[in-house]
Amino acid sequence: MRFWTLLRKEFRESLPWLILAAIVFFCFGGYCLRTFANFGELNRYFPYFPRLSPGSIVEPYQLTHNSPLQMTGVWLSLTSIGLGLSLGIRQFWVPHFTRTWPFLLHRSANRKTILAAKLTTAMLVFVISLGTLWVCLYWYANRPELFTIPQTARVFIEGWIFIALGLIAYLGTALSGLSTAKWYTTRIFGLAFATVIIIVTFAQWRLAWAFVVIALGVLILLSQIIDLFLNREF
Amino acid sequence: MRLKNNLKYVVTPAKIFMTVLILLFAVLIVQGIIIATEDIFTETKRRQTKTKPKEEATKEEKQVSRIRYSGKKILPDGTIHLIYRPERKPGRVDEPEMVQIYDVNDNLLWEGPSTRNPYRYLTWAGRLNSYRRDFTQQRMRQLQMITPELSRTLEVPVQSEQQVIQIWRYNPAKNYFIGYDTDGKKIGYIGSTGFTNSIIETKSLGKFRSFTAWCPQDSFSPTLLWQTQRCIYQINFEKQKVELLFESTDSDIETMSVHAWRDIAPGKEGSADYEKYRPLIHCVTADNKHYLIMRKPEQKLTVSVPKNWDSRFIGFTATMKSIFLQRYESERIPPKEYYKSPKLLRKWLQDHQGKPIKTAVELYKANNQGKLELLNRYDWTVPALPERVVEARDFRAPATRFVSKFSPPLYDWAWYFVGIRFWTQVYQRSDFAHGFARMLADIRPSSSIINWLLSAMMIGFTFWHGWPRRTSWPKFLFWLAFVGIFNLAGLLTYLALNHTTVIKCPACSRSRGLTKVNCIRCGVELPAPKRGKLDLIFNS
Repeated sequence: MRFWTLLRKEFRESLPWLILAAIVFFCFGGYCLRTFANFGELNRYFPYFPRLSPGSIVEPYQLTHNSPLQMTGVWLSLTSIGLGLSLGIRQFWVPHFTRTWPFLLHRSANRKTILAAKLTTAMLVFVISLGTLWVCLYWYANRPELFTIPQTARVFIEGWIFIALGLIAYLGTALSGLSTAKWYTTRIFGLAFATVIIIVTFAQWRLAWAFVVIALGVLILLSQIIDLFLNREF
Repeated sequence: MRLKNNLKYVVTPAKIFMTVLILLFAVLIVQGIIIATEDIFTETKRRQTKTKPKEEATKEEKQVSRIRYSGKKILPDGTIHLIYRPERKPGRVDEPEMVQIYDVNDNLLWEGPSTRNPYRYLTWAGRLNSYRRDFTQQRMRQLQMITPELSRTLEVPVQSEQQVIQIWRYNPAKNYFIGYDTDGKKIGYIGSTGFTNSIIETKSLGKFRSFTAWCPQDSFSPTLLWQTQRCIYQINFEKQKVELLFESTDSDIETMSVHAWRDIAPGKEGSADYEKYRPLIHCVTADNKHYLIMRKPEQKLTVSVPKNWDSRFIGFTATMKSIFLQRYESERIPPKEYYKSPKLLRKWLQDHQGKPIKTAVELYKANNQGKLELLNRYDWTVPALPERVVEARDFRAPATRFVSKFSPPLYDWAWYFVGIRFWTQVYQRSDFAHGFARMLADIRPSSSIINWLLSAMMIGFTFWHGWPRRTSWPKFLFWLAFVGIFNLAGLLTYLALNHTTVIKCPACSRSRGLTKVNCIRCGVELPAPKRGKLDLIFNS
């Protein structure tokens, strides 16, 4: 019961960021997809194939193609990382600046419940604001009247990887926010580590390895967040 | 409480891993900045240095230089010619390129614009590895990179003169093609079993290695020559036909070269004299066997090549009458086994520095049993290069050498113990892996004594710093070893995670950390704070 109350409280505080992220991603990501679709309609069927002439070598790069969701993917990754930073700041830095940690921690709920409520809210916000919109836009891009051939399942999974990277940014921000060290020492390491994980994930070409890197990042950041939150003095 | 207890087994390693990773990156960035700064200054200095005017070469020197820089071309009858291209006058790009053709006795046979050359030399099978024209495994991985713009796909169109009719998309996870028509409906699959309507009947083509694509003279749709780990296929999407050209049962295919195989219109890039040459595919397997697949008529041939020949310098061609092999040989090129050991390779290069190099080109004819017969050979000697013999173990730039002293010795162990073969494979894996392997090659300490001394000094500092603060022997020894392995990054990690305040022990007057209740030297407990007048809680 206390958990649900805390969850509602956290959700209420994160709601503006949820709505803002959803609006940004829907407007810009959707606009990019629609523009690509309009271009496709003008050029009928397969607009992106060059005319090949008989008796000539074909440049292999003439046969490689970006997904119509290409720019939508850019907006998804940017919005996801931005949302991660915003949520991390809202949940772990703002109580520090406004000195409201004692009010939260002196409720009749233990620290584990409070932290669980924060983390669950963050995950829900990512799934609701970006996850559902990504599913909708992917479904929209797969409609045969929009693009002739369907999008690959890999593209759909990559979208979820971008959302997971937002979660990494959130955990990195949270760890930096909880740290008691000085800024010029180890406090920035949470954010720095999240950046390293994001870069290494973008260097992968195997989906499984990308998930392994993300899982490792989550394990390292989350374990430290739990330890800090349960043990530090606020 | 249980969570708190169990968590410590994860949190401590996680904290150490995170900190050392970030500090390794930080040290790397600083090293990179220093190396780049030196590069910029050296380049500016080099540009500002005036080059000395060259001394006039003697007649003999000019002749030797001409022979060295001449292309060695072979006529179908086995005659070797030397093609020399004199330097163009600066700024006169409008003038045609001139060539001088000499025989092996250095007699000038012909001189004039290269386009009017009266001789028709043999042309050879070219390897499928060029960045622009061919598509290798590395490029395929680049397509699949998880970038913010999402991964790309390989799609082959089937086109009429007017429009695209079908699209065949490659599935890199399953190694087959899926076909779609203009309504977006699946029309079938193309795998090693050919065209099928059902995914169950479709079999993988095998792990992708490289491909080349061309539109035959009677088609607007590309045909693909597709090389996998063990097989070579020719895929015609228009006719929905897959032809298995070659299968290696014993070992992987390393390289594939083609000549006159692709049906290219005369005059266009990649075309050949189809009346003179037979279509040919030459592939080399990992066990250094050479296979030839030919047409007009269909023929498959295994050529017996001596084991000590380097396959990189062997080329094949098949005319309507004969099959030829061209081999280039030079004392300058180390044998293949020397690449396995950096020490051996360095020794080879040092042994051959500043010495004249014997070089040769050979022409062989292969019979129908794959036996070789030497037809002609031309030897020449490249004079000793005017380079000084460097005795130093380390050939890197001074700034690189300097910053590498602060690199972890761990990089060296990774370099040697994981093996040179692993790193050459990493090079081909992706651009990120390529960059990482290059970086490691550049900044690894190369077993430098100074690097070891620095590590020892850092261990000494850690000992001095950690002794009063130590809480347990295993932990203390772990940090000493850690600093030794990671050098500067290790020391910074140690300081980041172990810096605690020290006080003077009231019993023995020597410094002691605050993280342990008992003094590590005299065993006396930390002094309890004195009871104040305003204390509300008293210990009885």
